[in-house]
Amino acid sequence: MGSIELVIDGQKVEIEEGASVLQAARKVGITIPTICDHKDLNPYGACRMCIVEIEGVRGYPTSCTTPATNGMRVTTQSERLSTLRNRTLELMFSGHPNSCLVCVHREACEQHRPVATKAARSTRCGFCANRDECDLRSMALQAGRPELFLPTMYASYNLERDDPFMDRDYNLCVLCGRCWRICEKIHGKPAISIINRGKWARIGTAFDKSHVFSGCAFCGACIDICPTGTLTDRFVRWQGKPEQETTSACILCPQGCEVVAQGKSNQLLAYIMPAFKREAGLCALGRFGAAQLVNSSRRLIRPQVREGEDLIPYDWDAAIEAAAEKLKEQSGKITFLISATSTREERFLYGKLATALQGDILIVAADARAESPEIAALAAKIAGGKIQALVSNGTMLAEKTLAALGFSLIIDSFHSGTANQATVVLPAALLSETGGTFRSSTGEIRQLRPSSRAPGDARPEWRILRDLGQALNLDGFAYTRVEEVTSALIEDNAPAALPGEPRHNVRDLLGYYRGHLLSEIVPALAAFGLPVAQAEPESGVQESGSLILEKREIVPNMHYFKVQAPQVAKFSLPGQFVILMARETSERSPFTLVDWDAEAGTISLVIEEVGRSSRELASLQAGDRLAHVSGPLGLAMPIEKLGTVLLGGGCYGVGAIYPLAKALREAGNRVICAIEASSSYLLYMQEELAQVSDRLILATKDGSKGLRGGIQEVLAQVAQEEPIDQFIAIGCTFMMRMATEQSRELNIPTIVALNPIMVDGTGMCGACRVSVGDATRFACIDGPLFDGHSVDWDELASRRSAYSRQEIQALPQGVDLAALMHQPHAPSGCGCGR
Amino acid sequence: MSTSESGPGAKAAAPKKGRIKTPRQPMPEQDPRRRRYNFEEVPRGYSEETAMLEASRCLQCKKPGCVEGCPVNIQIPAFIDEIAKGRFVEALLKLKEQTALPAVCGRVCPQESQCEARCILAKKGDSVAIGRLERFAADYARKHGGVPDPVKAAATGKRVAIVGTGPAGITVAGELARWGHEVVMYEALHLAGGVLMYGIPQFRLPKEIVQFEVNSLKRLGVTIHTDYVIGKMESVDQLMEMGFDAVFIATGAGLPMFLGIPHENAIGVFSANEFLTRANLMRAIDFPRFATSPIRPRRAVTVGGGNVAMDSARTALRLGAESTIVYRRSKAEMPARSEEVHHAEEEGVIFHLLTNPVRIVTDAANRVTGVECLRMELGETDSSGRRRPVPVKGSEFIVEADTVIIAIGNQPNPLVPQSSPEIQTSKWGTIVADPATMMTSKPGVFAGGDIVSGAATVISAMGQGKIAARAMHRYLTGKDPE
Repeated sequence: MGSIELVIDGQKVEIEEGASVLQAARKVGITIPTICDHKDLNPYGACRMCIVEIEGVRGYPTSCTTPATNGMRVTTQSERLSTLRNRTLELMFSGHPNSCLVCVHREACEQHRPVATKAARSTRCGFCANRDECDLRSMALQAGRPELFLPTMYASYNLERDDPFMDRDYNLCVLCGRCWRICEKIHGKPAISIINRGKWARIGTAFDKSHVFSGCAFCGACIDICPTGTLTDRFVRWQGKPEQETTSACILCPQGCEVVAQGKSNQLLAYIMPAFKREAGLCALGRFGAAQLVNSSRRLIRPQVREGEDLIPYDWDAAIEAAAEKLKEQSGKITFLISATSTREERFLYGKLATALQGDILIVAADARAESPEIAALAAKIAGGKIQALVSNGTMLAEKTLAALGFSLIIDSFHSGTANQATVVLPAALLSETGGTFRSSTGEIRQLRPSSRAPGDARPEWRILRDLGQALNLDGFAYTRVEEVTSALIEDNAPAALPGEPRHNVRDLLGYYRGHLLSEIVPALAAFGLPVAQAEPESGVQESGSLILEKREIVPNMHYFKVQAPQVAKFSLPGQFVILMARETSERSPFTLVDWDAEAGTISLVIEEVGRSSRELASLQAGDRLAHVSGPLGLAMPIEKLGTVLLGGGCYGVGAIYPLAKALREAGNRVICAIEASSSYLLYMQEELAQVSDRLILATKDGSKGLRGGIQEVLAQVAQEEPIDQFIAIGCTFMMRMATEQSRELNIPTIVALNPIMVDGTGMCGACRVSVGDATRFACIDGPLFDGHSVDWDELASRRSAYSRQEIQALPQGVDLAALMHQPHAPSGCGCGR
Repeated sequence: MSTSESGPGAKAAAPKKGRIKTPRQPMPEQDPRRRRYNFEEVPRGYSEETAMLEASRCLQCKKPGCVEGCPVNIQIPAFIDEIAKGRFVEALLKLKEQTALPAVCGRVCPQESQCEARCILAKKGDSVAIGRLERFAADYARKHGGVPDPVKAAATGKRVAIVGTGPAGITVAGELARWGHEVVMYEALHLAGGVLMYGIPQFRLPKEIVQFEVNSLKRLGVTIHTDYVIGKMESVDQLMEMGFDAVFIATGAGLPMFLGIPHENAIGVFSANEFLTRANLMRAIDFPRFATSPIRPRRAVTVGGGNVAMDSARTALRLGAESTIVYRRSKAEMPARSEEVHHAEEEGVIFHLLTNPVRIVTDAANRVTGVECLRMELGETDSSGRRRPVPVKGSEFIVEADTVIIAIGNQPNPLVPQSSPEIQTSKWGTIVADPATMMTSKPGVFAGGDIVSGAATVISAMGQGKIAARAMHRYLTGKDPE
């Protein structure tokens, strides 16, 4: 093919024939906005952001699908194009929650929340895990605050969590089609495509099956290519933008795939495929499992040496010395049992040690385990007393086999019963924590580059072996860097290929790694039918506790509960709260009482799904039981006649102001209720509040209903119209703080309901201490209601975020996969939408 | 029920001659190098042989001082005699006559200042290891399934409410249930056991043991309502109106004190109660299986010198921290049990004695980065009989820390006293009770444990429970218990 020449925005461009106008523009550094285009995908022309004007061509063709031709004259910037693109963007945003983009408080709010807040479904940028990486958002914000006139049509799809690794929120999807196109490119037959028609069109699997049964290979390409927050890796969803990317290799199986390790603060977030190509695809274990293995709480973190019945933690020098001494004693009698998942350098060094100590070396398959024939044969020899000393870099042998040995050195990364029987246990670095090279089953040599820090005292295996060699005074162990070992390598054989193809079929995934049952370390893998441990998993079903009578999600992420709790209902007063535990393993989390009926013995609550504990609660249904309900707690609001009371509620506070409004109105006050939400579809309890207030004012941040703005704007407006004797604000810290600043200016007495982290809720622990005026108060027994003008808001905000890291870590845990996997799917026919 | 040959050692009683020559048997303990990284129990308990040997040291005094030294009057020589004879279950039965919680007391009582301090052998050498033998008997029976349920007296028709399920409440419940009263217990938290569950760490008192004891109360017919916050739900007055004939208040000293120094509300400053509750009751040490966020200190400073400070510092160590105790007096004045201080030292806890924190140092994000301290020297003797620490001028220095644990004591929890204004309280917020009967100013309402005495020990709470139980029985029936 020859090259052609065209003119774009007055600039001459020479390019290969067959290139698109978009490619030609990019070649000379001209940026044309686009969403659906991706360099590794064929042009699609779906988003229509990349429209241009071409001399002699009617209309506004999409530059991604228009081939550049010789002599073509293209304009990419004009008033007309800009108007059209804005209209397109607006249309796109009508199906994508956007209130943050148009909110007047965005800058202040983002200062208050430097990272996005966790949520189940993302109902705005502030609650979206993709906030800092979103193509859509950055495009919209490029030209300042956009004006979006079209109302948001929130689709209200459920958050899809019915597979082990992904959270899918199709409410954010703009149908750019990148996901199904990359799926088709990598797997040939895509597991997902656009299903349904018209406004119900969305991405889904055939017959809306769980991805586990849809033929999805869990390569993660769709997640990595999605420009919005629709598709996310559950494990890292809230970890924020990766800070480093390092090319390395995954050596969990003989395929030894090349990967890009995404990391943050020396921690591995995920292995992703190095390029969006069929050959570069990863399996579920590499893409989603590797980071969970590396970050597992079951990692070995310190060297241990047996003294009598116990393994005693040693420092490295002492442990190496002890191991070397015993190895010397056992010289000539040692068998080395080495996994094929070792790097070439490790195998080389094990070989050298074995030679020097006149031992045998046995290299076994990646998924070798006690039941494998070769291991069983070895175990028989041990049982017969033919082998008495062993060095192994895994726990392929059974516990009792190891216990029968006179000496065993285990160099491994995970706790196991087998390691507990060893003479010496040395903790090894894993995957992204180590360097070296690996020969794949196809013969290629892959380079491993360390990108994350090993936990505790764990060290790369090559260093452990070098130190052992040196402690044994052996020649040829004087390496300082792994590269020196690499250059000393002579030749090595490629490991045997896997029988299956895990990169295209999750059923072909290996169930073991160095003798460890993978589903024990990454429980979610059990969903693919991988072998699991004998023990019954703990069931999430609560047999005793408080019965849930009613439960529904009233607006996205807000769950209404009616619970049987006669003793709580009997004593509840306005302003009080309860502590709930969904299960015996849950946190104790406080929730404001929204309503109660002493006669019926019921209480009502509105629970916002944010982190793990509220998700555990939200996953319950009517007929289920809450493990624990404790309350009523906190001091009630003294109900007096004050005159005119304005109650402002946001988020969960919309429900929380209800009992106060009701009681205050019954006491003869004029009650004005104001509720805020980021958009109209998030407002709730309007009818209930209307019944207990003299006036109900709605406010939305995007202006889609009621007043545009939040509670502080309502307060300012109402204060102009009539005198307010008391203002009460309940909601997120940001809202209460902003509204309180406003009420201070207006000199209106203000009560706020504080929401610090609590543990016991009865005054015992002091976790919930807040500074009010000069005093430290406990929100659980002195509050939760306090004078808003005296609260130290900075302190409260900082204390609320004290556990943000652990909370993110806890999120992927405790998802009851068994329950999710058997969720009944509504029959959806062929998917054509009729 | 069998009364002989309950243990295999029955045939092999130690020879009587060896009594005085036999040295006090050491307790096998988990190696400090290992246990500083785990939450397994530190002492591993006597074997049957060791227990019998140790028991054989007891001189079976006619007027045993040890019994006088015991706040609950355990018939110590009698239970030790059973162990010496290899009759381990019988030994437990003897214990159970006086204590509802032998497995707990055998672990957490300060025997060295109570029973063992009064042992005649202590005058010339080492006392009999009474606590270890108590623990052995309780553990033996529990492990071998040989704990017989105590005999219950005929029902009296009287109903008693107990507020709080800590050591005082459990003691009263056990006694009154045995004497035929209907007992209902109320616990504010989700698990019964009070400080035994939330406060004392797993490595000193395994939680399974506490739940075993709680379950044995249930087997006695005691009803336990958890998640039940008396004072927020029914008040004590309302309990009486509900038809309870007597009420025992044992709500403990569950309101943590802070130092009142600058930046004490920074992120990373915890009350010992919070730090320990997260680790023990909420099982944050098993995070992420349990959802409560653990505290992962790198450098922890614990302020205080009592048992709670030792528990906190040793828990911090096990959570991975370099763990330091800051105490304003010297080691001699430390209220902690010497064994606990010794264990903490063995495990590598660093002690900054004669050191007083004056300010928490924080970064811009309100996180702790250190504690500013002053050196102290000992001055005149104060009202507690200890020499008063006096600051050394200009001796300020900073101990680096990302976690500060305040373990300087607790005040009485106010929820119950607040809701029952007619029950007389002291200026410290404790409930005033007659020391002879533990009855409060309101007839029929008794109280005991830390809510009366202020923060003290498990065994003193149990001792008050014993007094209260007898007085309550008299109050209910007009007779002394048999």
